[in-house]
Amino acid sequence: MIKASVEPWIEAPLQQFVDDAGVVLALLLHPSGQVMGQYGFTRAMDVMSACALAAAIHLSSSELGMQLEGKPFTGLHHAGKDRQVFIAETETRRGPYILLTVFDGESSLGLVRMFFDEFRVNLANAAPVPVPAPHPMLNENFERELNRNLAVLFGRA
Amino acid sequence: MSSPFTAILDAFSRQRGVQASLAVSARDGIAIESNLQIGQDGTRVAALAASLYAKARKAATAAGLGSTGFLQLEAEAGRLCMLGGDDVILVVVGDPQANVGLIRMELIRAAEALA
Repeated sequence: MIKASVEPWIEAPLQQFVDDAGVVLALLLHPSGQVMGQYGFTRAMDVMSACALAAAIHLSSSELGMQLEGKPFTGLHHAGKDRQVFIAETETRRGPYILLTVFDGESSLGLVRMFFDEFRVNLANAAPVPVPAPHPMLNENFERELNRNLAVLFGRA
Repeated sequence: MSSPFTAILDAFSRQRGVQASLAVSARDGIAIESNLQIGQDGTRVAALAASLYAKARKAATAAGLGSTGFLQLEAEAGRLCMLGGDDVILVVVGDPQANVGLIRMELIRAAEALA
């Protein structure tokens, strides 16, 4: 069985968002690109790519928002022919996280945005008090953490 | 600034018992224009009503009943009336005293005007 999240407190809010919004894929990640939770992906490689791309897109759009409006854009939506992507940031006591979600005609942007607002509250309420990081986020740590998270999500831990 | 929906939504608002009226994007579930009372959450109504109407259309098609027309949802404290097409759904929120017959007639007239 594929686990939905790396840390247990993420599981319930993410599952509720997926159920309520009726999305096809959902990915919660740290702005560094570390995966924190996922729904709908079947391969670790896809999760890794999606995390890297989502983190980069979020950073780019935030910077674009800063250039244009003096503050980061809060969400990004891209409509494809059959599927649509929504990326937005959510804040918790543990710091910011990014949600990337993909949905089709069974859902809508209105529903996704509405349930994302609820997810934001639920995740913030579920987030435990932060613990100090055991080590600085260096390249070698990032790789090790990433592999550990992917292993947890895909049942290899 | 007025849009093609302004006059239509204003006409609904003048009817007795109508609490809110919205023109909603059928694909996105986002309100294009709305007449709301203070405290009403148009964003949620728009998203959920569009989803409901889309599901009703699919159910009607699956049952071999053809296209969906007027849809009415009765709730404890009022009713939700909807009519739409591929692009826009008109949503009217009424209290239990609202005249559904008049709302339905106005929705059909508005949908014809928008077509």
